[in-house]
Amino acid sequence: MSWQGELNRFLASAYKNWIISRRNIFTVFELFFWPMVSLLSIGLLTRFLAVEGSMVSFLLVGAIALTILQVAQIDVAYVLLFDMWSKSIKNTFIAPIRSYHLVFGALLFGILRGCVVFLILVAVSGHLFGFNFLAGGIFPVLAFLAGIFAMAASIGITVCISILTFGQKADVAAWSLSGLILLVSGIYYPVDVLPPLLQALAWAIPLTYFLEYYRSIFIPGPHHLAWGCALASFYLILGLILLDRAIERARRTGILLRLSE
Amino acid sequence: MVARMKGKSVQASGICKRYKSFFGRSSTILDNISLDIDAGDIFGLLGPNGSGKTTLISIFSTLIYPEAGSLSILGMDARRNRNAIRKCINISTAKPNFPWSLTVKENLRHYGMLYGLHGSALSRTVRDQIDAFELGEFQDHRFEDLSTGLKQRLSLAKAMLNHPSLIFLDEPTTGLDPDISIKTRQLIRRIHEEEGISVVLSTHYMPEAEMLCDKIAFLRQGRIVALDTPHNLKRHLALGERIAVSYQGEADLAALEEQPGILGLKAEKGRVEIIVDRGEESLDGIIKLFAKAKITDIAIKEPDLEDVFIELAR
Repeated sequence: MSWQGELNRFLASAYKNWIISRRNIFTVFELFFWPMVSLLSIGLLTRFLAVEGSMVSFLLVGAIALTILQVAQIDVAYVLLFDMWSKSIKNTFIAPIRSYHLVFGALLFGILRGCVVFLILVAVSGHLFGFNFLAGGIFPVLAFLAGIFAMAASIGITVCISILTFGQKADVAAWSLSGLILLVSGIYYPVDVLPPLLQALAWAIPLTYFLEYYRSIFIPGPHHLAWGCALASFYLILGLILLDRAIERARRTGILLRLSE
Repeated sequence: MVARMKGKSVQASGICKRYKSFFGRSSTILDNISLDIDAGDIFGLLGPNGSGKTTLISIFSTLIYPEAGSLSILGMDARRNRNAIRKCINISTAKPNFPWSLTVKENLRHYGMLYGLHGSALSRTVRDQIDAFELGEFQDHRFEDLSTGLKQRLSLAKAMLNHPSLIFLDEPTTGLDPDISIKTRQLIRRIHEEEGISVVLSTHYMPEAEMLCDKIAFLRQGRIVALDTPHNLKRHLALGERIAVSYQGEADLAALEEQPGILGLKAEKGRVEIIVDRGEESLDGIIKLFAKAKITDIAIKEPDLEDVFIELAR
């Protein structure tokens, strides 16, 4: 197999997700409506509460991070959700592909969409709330986005594993997992305010570290970016291994057939 | 026509499949299935609903795995060489489904990419399959807007994207109009003859199996109850021939039953269907018993696979 052929196996999922998104009018909601609602509501809240500049940056960084995470993770989950909804899973899994072809192909499209949303939100937050997201330079932005996309891949993989393990009803996980992240990883408040048990959970989530790192540009303080990177890499590798196992299990138990019926 | 391949396309021994419910109850879907399929053959899997045809095709195509047994596809061990096997096979599923909003061309392109096709080879293969399955007029139609027959043709075209050596067709004509079914059968025959591809197909439709298949396995409750050529199946089951006599007046049906070589008869007013060992040899004796009646019509019919199916499914 040539490298172009191998590359196309990755790009196949991005190609499918791109066409389906392009034809779906409700993509506008995913790309523009909900991200804008999220940013504007938090931005306006900071005005209403007359919070100081550093706190505005704290909250807007959280809002932007959560929005990009949601957009990118759903794209990874879509790689299986679209097949499940159209009952065409058999056709995908009869092909000589591995789980990483599906995940990274879909993630590529998720990164593209995430970057589009990011640029819009950065522009709007700068224009309406005077917040310069890019104040720290290009490297911190790239590190921050890379962390969010790695986290998004792990969440998307978890959704795929849930579907392959528990069947069609597990698609609710696609929208629920980012809710858990919202609660515990310090999106709108510092992790310190959480009860000890949830704090421990927060420090097990890489996004907590990436938020801590990026906020340190606006509110100087310590950060543990290396830990975040290590954790994100660990979850990504673990996720791919578990996804492979979930696919094998679905082939053994016959869930793969039931998902096509 | 491509020369027939040698060897076996499928070698299965002791294949078993059980499904467990959430509460731990298990049901046996396939029980100790053993069969060999010669390369280059069209092999039919027949059986009533729930007999395990789709599960067996899914196992042969490595989509799902068996609990027990050994399986070799195109000479490769199905446990050790799954990805290598998947490169050489393809499937057209019953009730074909593809991403709804992708057009015919986009669907073929997407699945071609999954098989590692790229550049001009991908474009050429997609175009070739669109031409081969007469989908040109519909190439920009979305899957959700296609008729059942067109969906089936797309499914067959998708199954040919990687130029497979072995193709699995799960009930390829179910739900199609008769004229589209005939066309689909012609396509299957053409794929087989022109490309030299081994075909394993499941069907409910007896004439289809009789028309296409070199060999047939009958499945019932997850077991193979018969495996042979269509001709031998009819002969070995000794289903006899049927002589249908329509008449007016009196016929001695009691004497008819006593005649040597008569296996059974079914009588209704003015018509009797007699099952005999050998139709032509029994015909003289039968006609004599209608001496007092006027025969208005008489026909001899060989048993078809429908009769075999009914016999075996009992």
